[in-house]
Amino acid sequence: MTTPKPKEGTGDIATFNIQHGFAEALVRGMRSSFLQDQDYHHLTQCETLDDVRLNLTETDYADSIADFNSLNPTMLQKAAVDKLVTEFKYLRTQTVEPLSTFLDFITYEYMIENVMLLLKGALSGRDINELLEQCHPLGMFKESTMRSIPTFENSAKGYSDLYQTVLVDTPVGPYFSKFLQESAMHRGAHSRNVLEEVEIEIIKSSLIKYWIEDFYMFVESLGGDTATIMGDILKTRADTNAVNITLNSFGTPLNEPAMRSSDRKRLYPAVGYLYPAGTSMLADVSDEDELGRVLELFPSYSAIWSIHASGTGDKSIDDVFYERDVQALELAFESQFHFGCFYAYVKLKEQEIRNLVWITECILQQQKDEIEKFVQVFSNTAPWRGKTR
Amino acid sequence: MSSDATCSSEYCNQGWAEVLTHMSPYGYANFGVAFGLGLSIVGAAWGIWLTGSSLVGAAVKAPRIRSKNLISVIFCEATAIYGVIMAIILTNKIKEPESAGYFLEEGWDYNGYYYAGYGMFSAGLSVGLTNIASGVSVGIAGSSCAIADAQDASLFVKILIVEIFASALGIFGIIVGIIQSNACTFPTFALQ
Repeated sequence: MTTPKPKEGTGDIATFNIQHGFAEALVRGMRSSFLQDQDYHHLTQCETLDDVRLNLTETDYADSIADFNSLNPTMLQKAAVDKLVTEFKYLRTQTVEPLSTFLDFITYEYMIENVMLLLKGALSGRDINELLEQCHPLGMFKESTMRSIPTFENSAKGYSDLYQTVLVDTPVGPYFSKFLQESAMHRGAHSRNVLEEVEIEIIKSSLIKYWIEDFYMFVESLGGDTATIMGDILKTRADTNAVNITLNSFGTPLNEPAMRSSDRKRLYPAVGYLYPAGTSMLADVSDEDELGRVLELFPSYSAIWSIHASGTGDKSIDDVFYERDVQALELAFESQFHFGCFYAYVKLKEQEIRNLVWITECILQQQKDEIEKFVQVFSNTAPWRGKTR
Repeated sequence: MSSDATCSSEYCNQGWAEVLTHMSPYGYANFGVAFGLGLSIVGAAWGIWLTGSSLVGAAVKAPRIRSKNLISVIFCEATAIYGVIMAIILTNKIKEPESAGYFLEEGWDYNGYYYAGYGMFSAGLSVGLTNIASGVSVGIAGSSCAIADAQDASLFVKILIVEIFASALGIFGIIVGIIQSNACTFPTFALQ
């Protein structure tokens, strides 16, 4: 769509290492920094956050938390994210085309999230400094660019100004411009006003949709194992988005019959296992029962849906999706000579950070019954490894 | 342009078949040495960078693997050594004719002469091509070995066995190459 095709492929089994052997080996070396089964075991046994801190000093996080006298979930999250960002930037400096573009693609997602966070924050009138604190460091633009984003008004005119003066120079500019074009075409036909808060969500979903499609086209043009493995990961990612958009639209104006086929359908990514048969059926879904009936037609999703529909409350649909993602991302590390492991590394580290935050929050709030509810990364006892705990 | 239009004279070459059959057996023999050595070293170099780039990358997080995994590089180097051995054997077999005349002597052993040339060319090619395959194969196994060893030290020996088998492919080549070139002796003087 927007990103030019790579000039050369990734190379096959005999030539991949010419350009990318070092970087791939680096990221595979970093795989050993994931917390192990026994680390999680020790962490979940902790009574206080001080114990957590002591336990973490024996893991790869030791340097990140060395200066902390005390620990709270926010600080830990920030330290862990910073560590991930440092590692990612180190990797990025060691890479050449087309791997460097591939790594840039990973950061575009965070850029989109940051832009949307700033716009949303401006809408609710929050302080810009506070918002900048919350932005993901992987998706940062220049300071001045970041600060100017929330100054635009929340209207079609404001967004086109935002694009023309600020975002046009950023990597996510093309996605924004595509969104503006599509919504202009769409507005001409319907001239219907969407509620402001829904509008922000729609923009975000659209941008992410364009990003997934663009990323997908990019990995397809790289070919080889990268296309196979990353294609699978991005397809499941697209499906997850489609299901979540549908699920979250219930009870909002997006679920009105007129909006379903016009606005909501446009948000479904044009890639994935659900596309096109599944997404066209999803467009007509009006409540959870109907969504369930559509997903039952797809074996991999009927299992996920049945967990959600049974409503035992043990696992939310997000947890199930996370579990499925972790399983798919771990598979990227099972084969060599492709780019999938770079994306998988970032996403699995994110999952690990989520786990750490969950564990520390549970300890902080004395909710020890809930503490086991996280999706462990590279666990020897994961359900898909067929061993029992 | 058709080929007969460009060359109708009897002094012109009548296609590749003529060029190849008219090449001197000494030429063939020396090309055999060149291909045997050159392709072996291409294989070895290919294997070494496949292994080497992964080895240094994996050693960043797990420095303990760096000396142990040099053995993968040595396995690749072995392919180059096979090529060198073969090149030395073949070179020693190429012998100058004793007579210094412009033409070969009367009663020259043409059968043995051509046999030696073709035999040594094929021997060189056998060794060269098998060593490319062996070198790449050892390189890929060595690259995976470095990465696997960085994660789990117990995997090193297991993957090393895979590498040994890949390395053995080159030995097949050199054995056959030696047998091929065994009977190749350049005649140095005319038969009586």
